[in-house]
Amino acid sequence: MNKSKLNQFIIYLLENNFVIAPQYDSEGFLHLNKLENPKDFALVSKLPLDSWKWHMLPPDQKMFEYKGNKMQEVLPQIKSQVFLGVSILDLQALTLLNQVFEKDPYYQKIKKKTIIIGTSSVPEENFYQFFEKFEEHKLEHLQFDVFLAVQKTGYKIFTGSEDGQRLLDKFGHKDYQHIEYAGPIREEGLDAQMVAIKDAMQNNHQQKIWDDLGARCIQCGKCTIACPVCFCFRIYDQSDLVKGTGRRSRCWDSCFYNEFTQVAGPAPKEPKHRFINTAAERIYFWYEHHFVRTPQSFSIPGCVGCGRCTQVCPANIDIKQTIQDILKNKKTKNAQ
Amino acid sequence: MRNDYQTYNCKILKVEKETADSSTFTLSLPYKGFNFVCGQYVMVSLPGFGEAAISISSDMNDRKAFQLTVREVGVLTSAMHNLKKGGILGVRGPYGRSFPVSQAKGRNILIVVGGCGIPPIRPVILDAVKNPQKYKKVYIFYGSKNEDTLFFKREYSRWRKVCDLNIALEKPKTKKFNKGMVTALFDLKNIPSDAIAYICGPPIMYKFVIEKILKQGFDPNKIFMSLERHMDCGLGVCQHCAVGPYYVCKDGPVFSYEELKNFKTWLSPI
Repeated sequence: MNKSKLNQFIIYLLENNFVIAPQYDSEGFLHLNKLENPKDFALVSKLPLDSWKWHMLPPDQKMFEYKGNKMQEVLPQIKSQVFLGVSILDLQALTLLNQVFEKDPYYQKIKKKTIIIGTSSVPEENFYQFFEKFEEHKLEHLQFDVFLAVQKTGYKIFTGSEDGQRLLDKFGHKDYQHIEYAGPIREEGLDAQMVAIKDAMQNNHQQKIWDDLGARCIQCGKCTIACPVCFCFRIYDQSDLVKGTGRRSRCWDSCFYNEFTQVAGPAPKEPKHRFINTAAERIYFWYEHHFVRTPQSFSIPGCVGCGRCTQVCPANIDIKQTIQDILKNKKTKNAQ
Repeated sequence: MRNDYQTYNCKILKVEKETADSSTFTLSLPYKGFNFVCGQYVMVSLPGFGEAAISISSDMNDRKAFQLTVREVGVLTSAMHNLKKGGILGVRGPYGRSFPVSQAKGRNILIVVGGCGIPPIRPVILDAVKNPQKYKKVYIFYGSKNEDTLFFKREYSRWRKVCDLNIALEKPKTKKFNKGMVTALFDLKNIPSDAIAYICGPPIMYKFVIEKILKQGFDPNKIFMSLERHMDCGLGVCQHCAVGPYYVCKDGPVFSYEELKNFKTWLSPI
């Protein structure tokens, strides 16, 4: 597919879909926004500041409407949308979210209405070294509908689903290669770096790393908002003005917030009990989620190496440095 | 697609006052075939007040109704206490891993509970009362503040027929009970170390109880405890209840000491 054909393809997508794509704003920041004009689509190796979870797992989502004691399920009402230009790091994130929310009717409803068009552009700096560089054989471990592999001239097109094939067929582009999704784990087995970090965190606890980070972290929670795979949520009820009616919703939560582990009691007026209380404990909990619990539950890394957390951190906490510290200390211990 | 967050309405059949701020609610079954094992919990819901995880406190063999014993500590539990017979509560579940009840068959059981920790373990006590031959001997060590904060007082005489019930009160008003923390009971009774231990109580209790139990020579694989955590989903997704590599909602709330002992985070993080 050459550049002008891609342009035609985007125009075709815009006809019937809500297309979301990375675009530069007036201040030069790359954001995900509704695409109005195909020429605004920034197909660049840089990652947008926002991640795609904003559109796949909305920050606030109505789950039920209630009237008296009756809870009525409310599924998201969305028109078909297209995620255009999802980098392979972000595809990796969406592939993980797909697994986490496999049985979630709200997520699945949105997923069903979403066409994902990936691209092979990878940022120059990859914080986790998961995708060192783009290679075709890695595509079978990512979930997407259409994929644009950027070549010197134009794009090589892949499809990853029947929806993707149908879309290209309807558009009238037949020159694509279909890739059958083979699950998230590669043939060579578990990701070696993932295994090493998990092992180091579980078997070689280095309190100093967490104390140091705890002293710097201001617990603002920006990393949890920026991260494409931070998906913690809380469920809350909201009453309407009409008595006995209201809604139950879920919204993003952050493990850096004080109430995250708070339980009621011991009595209404006494201090509430919290199981996580310090900055060091919170940042450890965050790393534990990404580098211990996710690998344990899904056998894939809970970090895609996008570096968004580092970019937004006001305390300059660098995830790459932290990972190096976790692994370095391990080596020292083994050497002794 | 099935919505795991959908609640089922249960009718309140009876409300029994336990202490000044807690009650036992007897509820109709949320759906046909609802059953549970001791240690499991349900997500209780009241529209407008939200949801909370609450352990089931009734007889596992009862196929007609189930019970929740609840202390008034937060928004939802306070609202629950305004409900009367005939009121409606939303429920989803049951969730979580139970105490290993079949593993305890034919064995001695040591139950150590403190404060509000007794309701989640009551199902196994009622099971023993109903089936006296099922377990060898059931020892109960129950610690509470004073006479007024004891749960299920009306049942003690029935329990005592099968169980060796020992109560320690922190600030007793009478001389009827032992004075002290629940750990003091270990000095008064010798428990056969082949017993299987079930523990439930406030977080601070575990450390001291585990110390005592290990001293008695218990196998860490045979010590089980139920952990309380903040839970939003009950399905192992929302992360609020995570402890190390585990989700208390799904992998617990009952864990063996063997599973938890290698990392400190289950008592206090890091």
